[in-house]
Amino acid sequence: MGASVGTGDKKSVNVELNIVPFIDMMSCLTAFLLITAVWVNIAQINIQPKGKTRDQAQVQQDDEHVTLSVLVQSDRIWVGLSRVNEFQDIPKKGEEQDWDKLETTLKEHKASAFFADRSDLEIAAESTTAAPVKYQDIIYAMDVAVKVGFVDVGLSDPQGLAARPSL
Amino acid sequence: MPVHSAGARLYKSVKFRHLVKKSGSAAGSRASNVSLNLTPFVDMMTVLVTFLLMVFSSTGQLLEAQKGLDLPLAKSRETLQQAPVIIVTKSEITYQGQLVATVESVLRDDSPTFKIDALFERLDAASKKIKEDIAMGRQPKDLIKACEEAKSNIRPAPGKICPDGLAILQADESTDARLINKIVNTAKAAGFDNLLFAVKNK
Repeated sequence: MGASVGTGDKKSVNVELNIVPFIDMMSCLTAFLLITAVWVNIAQINIQPKGKTRDQAQVQQDDEHVTLSVLVQSDRIWVGLSRVNEFQDIPKKGEEQDWDKLETTLKEHKASAFFADRSDLEIAAESTTAAPVKYQDIIYAMDVAVKVGFVDVGLSDPQGLAARPSL
Repeated sequence: MPVHSAGARLYKSVKFRHLVKKSGSAAGSRASNVSLNLTPFVDMMTVLVTFLLMVFSSTGQLLEAQKGLDLPLAKSRETLQQAPVIIVTKSEITYQGQLVATVESVLRDDSPTFKIDALFERLDAASKKIKEDIAMGRQPKDLIKACEEAKSNIRPAPGKICPDGLAILQADESTDARLINKIVNTAKAAGFDNLLFAVKNK
């Protein structure tokens, strides 16, 4: 960047910086960044689908293994423990599911002896034509689970849940 | 139209003279030097460049927005990575940009297999190709290393998940859960046992 000191006068201390290259560079950079900018910030939730695979006919369930299951229905959420067969019902609060209650419930389970050192949980959504469950609700449930510390979320069929409430 | 004498003009009617600063050697009634104040311009450019640098993503845009596709919101912030993409819009299901089935037809189908055959065929072929690529070492080295680590149950670094059995599901927020179940079952049956659900950050 060029600079000329003074204007010819010996006593002058004015400095004129040539900012043209700077402006050129800024203009190019702005144009490049505007073109390559990603405006929608997309992230991901990682899940492991449960159930049948191509290579194995049926996933083997360990009888000694206690699984925490979350069943999302259109009007409520069930949180259950396999083997123990203990279920907690979280009814809908107004138009929305009670996500705060779900978070509190999952936190309690996470603090329990069963899940203190574990991070697996299975989620299923039971949807019917009359009582549909939206994908956004599954994502919210997963998001809450990940937030609480159950980062190994598995998505299952409602019939394939390890702990399923008898309705 | 009146004829004006030649001189510095800004457009036709605005005289240029009032913009001229009477200073230094250019002083005088006919001076034509103009000193524009560039400070606000440079300020604005600096702020703009700073903002754009902050939102800059080195990974680029892995997923593209589509008509009829509003991604669900979530607070989780894991980085996306390249993988086969299944897109479910309000009306259709596509795999890698190719139409597989319509949402209506899949929801109407009550077959006991509980999977989408057209999607299964494509996913099955893709799964075999990915496995072959990994076996032949045609994937990036860090991803091949992630596959070896996955066998030892080592948790992969964000954005470095083994591509074997990895697919992205990009579904509209209002999609019926039955459809999601069918797609997940289909993916699982085809060997995709690690699904990434694309979400918009809250």
